[in-house]
Amino acid sequence: MTPTIAVLGASGFVGSRLLELYHLTGYAKLRPIVRNYSSLARLARFDLDWRIADACDQEALTAALEGCDAVINLIVANPDVIVANASVTYQAAQAAGIQRLVFMSSASVHGQAPAPGTDETSPLHTNHRFAYNNAKVRAEYELNRCRRRGSVELVILRPGIVFGPRSRWVSDIADQLLGNQAYLINDGHGICNSIYVDNLIEAITLALTVPSADRETFLVGDRERVTWFHFYSLIANGLGYDINNVVCLSPPQFTSTLFDRFEAVRTSKPVQALLPRIPRLMKEAAKGAIKTVSAPPISSPWRLPDVLTPNVTEEMTQLQLCSVHLPHEKAQRILDYNANVSFAEGIKRSLGWLQFAGYPIQLH
Amino acid sequence: MTSSHPRRFALVGCGAISELYYAPALVEVSKIIPLEMVALYDPSPDRTASLLRIFPNAKSVSNIEDLIATSPDLAVVASPAKFHSSQAIDLLSVGVHVLCEKPMASSVSEAESMIIAARRANCVLAIGLFRRFFPALQTIKDIIDKGTLGPVRHFHFEEGGLFNWPAASASFFQKNNSQGGVLLDLGVHLLDLICWWLGEPKSMLYEDDMMGNLEANCRLILAYENGITGDIRMSRDTSCSNTYTIEFERGRIAWKVGESNQLKLYLNDLPFDFHSQLCKDNLPASNYNQSFVRQILNFVSASMGLESVLVPGEEGIRSLKLIQQCYTHRTLMAMPWLTDLEIQGCSKLCAGES
Repeated sequence: MTPTIAVLGASGFVGSRLLELYHLTGYAKLRPIVRNYSSLARLARFDLDWRIADACDQEALTAALEGCDAVINLIVANPDVIVANASVTYQAAQAAGIQRLVFMSSASVHGQAPAPGTDETSPLHTNHRFAYNNAKVRAEYELNRCRRRGSVELVILRPGIVFGPRSRWVSDIADQLLGNQAYLINDGHGICNSIYVDNLIEAITLALTVPSADRETFLVGDRERVTWFHFYSLIANGLGYDINNVVCLSPPQFTSTLFDRFEAVRTSKPVQALLPRIPRLMKEAAKGAIKTVSAPPISSPWRLPDVLTPNVTEEMTQLQLCSVHLPHEKAQRILDYNANVSFAEGIKRSLGWLQFAGYPIQLH
Repeated sequence: MTSSHPRRFALVGCGAISELYYAPALVEVSKIIPLEMVALYDPSPDRTASLLRIFPNAKSVSNIEDLIATSPDLAVVASPAKFHSSQAIDLLSVGVHVLCEKPMASSVSEAESMIIAARRANCVLAIGLFRRFFPALQTIKDIIDKGTLGPVRHFHFEEGGLFNWPAASASFFQKNNSQGGVLLDLGVHLLDLICWWLGEPKSMLYEDDMMGNLEANCRLILAYENGITGDIRMSRDTSCSNTYTIEFERGRIAWKVGESNQLKLYLNDLPFDFHSQLCKDNLPASNYNQSFVRQILNFVSASMGLESVLVPGEEGIRSLKLIQQCYTHRTLMAMPWLTDLEIQGCSKLCAGES
């Protein structure tokens, strides 16, 4: 019998591709769940039995999951929602009689540049520099705690750089190349732990069905060891852009501004709990003062206009400093995961999507 | 512009477009021409309630008959498109002037019935293609008509991005409520401008990615008798440049979607470009919101016989005819990332549609 599978976060790029693949191949009856009507735009290409539900509203989510066999949680959200949604989804799945939950975590639970020897057994921590990483770790903790008490089977996947149609890793890099804003750290020698989106869906499909996958966590990626230079150069090649024009940089030092530090304090849990008791005018005055103090100096009228330079981010720098090709032997062993689409084929299909999306692709 | 008796207004449909656009614009117009909001209609009491906060003296009604009983002089029809025709005809047939939100109807035949109803009743039927009120787009029309930059050679229009309109219901995405996807939604504006500027094309190729419901992406290639060619891309799915570029013999104009009073001008053989703010008598030309207000002012004035309506039903139907032609001859866009098995699935879904 064809299973009914709920897809939380169905309007994101992995969700969109999963709906395409499952619906067009008749693999499953789908129940996309999105947070508002506007999020239906992409998936409305197909005639699907969708639901609207807030990811943190257990009652609404339970109703949306009624009648489904399994749920795939692909929600993309801010760190607070990622954490809050984890147990809400599990409890909703429990109440709705769902058999298995597949949760999309991230390889970034090990950091953007993990230590050599990292695998699924490596201990996790919540002292990462990026709130997203910590949120994924906390979500995994929450879900494993729920699994110990509940009966819904749980499989956690940790993909690295997921690329493919509609992925920001494809469109952002193409935009940066075309706008002469792309950059490589240390000549792009760092490892890009890539996974073509269809390979991730292969892993999801196995995670839904392999009985022994319950309570397990899997790192998943492409078969090939890919460098950032390789990744950028293939997209550049598709765009007819000379990769030698990409700026190569040494890793810059990142220091937090006064405003960054203020924001870190402001968004911390204890301060957020206190904020409602502080008068609005006082809050606005504090924010305004910090902004004024940390504002960049006014440029001299004598200064000639700058040539646009790449906006180097700390996250991208860390990713490009990665020296480890994360293993997926466990996924191969337990799930029989093969990463069936080669990296080259994944890039070819991604370039096909860029052309579809109006980019000036030069097909060879 | 003054009138001793306030014009009695009614609003049909209290969704996001009414709340975010019509309500504030009507409040502004009422400062120039006395208006009285007499009735609000929406099947959802929650939606009506939000508009009642802005128009507390209006009567909330549950059907068009009750709305007509409040004796409005004018009405805005801003309900889902499938209701436009029947609601507009009901209003026109009792002498109510109608400003109908775009698309004016679900089909060309419905739109024709609306035009006939307006003529019979001798009422104004205006269509909410309010971009025609943008000074930038009126300037492009003048440049084309007067040949300021020589004849048009080619145009390339891109519009859309990941859908972010705060839709208050799913009607946008349900085939039984909305007879089209991105082409009907954005294309009705875009093709209206093409018809207004250049007339109807000689030939048109159309493709989209509808696979059982409504398209999120589409492409058109147009050709004209006089050699002008054009290509268009619209999307609710991926980011677009949101720029209309028109190449002339002596230069190029680029218009960024939504910038009602700005244009970029590139003249051949000049080293610099013009990024122009349009002004008149040292004042900036109407911005986006002001253009919306001007649309309603034009409608109200036309209903009083003071000026002619800028976008009557006869103009609104032109883009609808092109859209219908597109859907009739649609082909599936190439999606090179799909597997062979998926392509077979697409073919089955599309065969089921035809």
